[in-house]
Amino acid sequence: MSFDPWTLGFQAVNVLVLVWLLHRFFWTPVAAMIAERQARSATLLAAAEATRAEADTALADLEAARAAIAVERDAMLAAAHKDAEAARAAILDAARDEATALHDTARAARVRAAAALKRAARQEAQGLAVTIARRLAARLDGAAIDAAFLGWLVQGIADLSAAERAALSVARLEVVSATPPDAGAQARIAAALSAALGAPVTPGFRTDPALIAGHELHSPHFSLRNSWAADLERIAAALRADPDGNAGVTSDAA
Amino acid sequence: MDSPLLSVPLFMVGPVPIMPAVVTTWAIMAALVLAAGLLTRRLTLVPSAAQAAAELLVAAVDRQIRDVTGAPPAPFRAFIGTLFVFILVANWSSLVPGVTPPTASMETPAALAALVFLSIIFFGIREGGVGGFLRGFALPNPVMIPLNMLESITRSFSMFVRLFGNVMSGVFVIAIVGSLAALLVPVPLMALDLLTGAVQAYIFAVLSMVFITSAVEKGAPHPKEP
Repeated sequence: MSFDPWTLGFQAVNVLVLVWLLHRFFWTPVAAMIAERQARSATLLAAAEATRAEADTALADLEAARAAIAVERDAMLAAAHKDAEAARAAILDAARDEATALHDTARAARVRAAAALKRAARQEAQGLAVTIARRLAARLDGAAIDAAFLGWLVQGIADLSAAERAALSVARLEVVSATPPDAGAQARIAAALSAALGAPVTPGFRTDPALIAGHELHSPHFSLRNSWAADLERIAAALRADPDGNAGVTSDAA
Repeated sequence: MDSPLLSVPLFMVGPVPIMPAVVTTWAIMAALVLAAGLLTRRLTLVPSAAQAAAELLVAAVDRQIRDVTGAPPAPFRAFIGTLFVFILVANWSSLVPGVTPPTASMETPAALAALVFLSIIFFGIREGGVGGFLRGFALPNPVMIPLNMLESITRSFSMFVRLFGNVMSGVFVIAIVGSLAALLVPVPLMALDLLTGAVQAYIFAVLSMVFITSAVEKGAPHPKEP
């Protein structure tokens, strides 16, 4: 066994040199690379965390926006529903009003049509009555009818007041007859008028076939209608005034 | 068969003998520095397999230092790591035919133990100053000063003897068996020698770290409670 101090020194120096060389070329660079990778990883992790935080924030914003959109959509749907309800109510009201107006118009048209029909019927009845009266007057004895109407004329004069009779006695009178009176008839009429007025009168005579039958007395300011045509007109007027037809036709005719 | 305990100089430089262990150490140094240079020439963030292995070694050394000292590993990394790597490669250099491990001669383990002894003093004084380091010998009481000083020497000496004894015995056994038996008979013993060499490298590095840590803690202004 031998122990060489030089070798001991050489080996100690060798190991120290090796420590320095490996420190310079191995341990420090590799450790630096590990540290750099760890730092880079930490940076990347921090960036990833920041990105994730931003993503979370963006997601939260998106969720909030989506919720706002949902709320807005609900509000818009509610408003649209409300508008639709209002429009529907307006349309229904308009339709109801239009239906009411149409109904009223139809009812008014129906009323007018009924009134027109009634008028037409009345006019037809009036015409029929005139025709009937004219045919009856044609079949009846003309003298008797003239006498009757003359009597009713005298009665009408008698029903006047004394002042009216006095005014008629001095007026220029005209007797309108349905048929032309002959001389005798004119004399009888004049005599009857003079007796009824209490003063002698000389009336003029005129013929109007529209009267159907009877005699009417006219002056410039007075008319005493006493004919079948006047009676029919009075009946028609009474019927117009009383559509139910309860007016006293007979008394007016008399 | 020559005794492995005897060292014959390869050549002389004046009065200075150059032993085979020194030459082998130079070769190991060259190989390690060359490998380190090649490994660290192109370090990238996405490591290659070799770079990953190098980083695994550095991370393992750092973790071991951190586990023992509880301190950042940077101040001790180069010394402890180099001790481990050098002893490991030196022990395993026996696999190369005709090469005797440098750790199988007494001078190399003695030099390593001497460096550990000096590093204990260096790190202890750097941590707590000369006074603090010397006060560490008076713990737990001044009566222990002679024993503590003796211990500081004997524990380094024990590291020297342990490393030298294990490696030298392995080489001795393989040489004896190889001289007596066939060619392949020593192979299991060589495999066992590989395991022994790795374990001894690990033990030497860890014990060095433990002793340095002890000196640092004793020399600290407020030494930790045991």
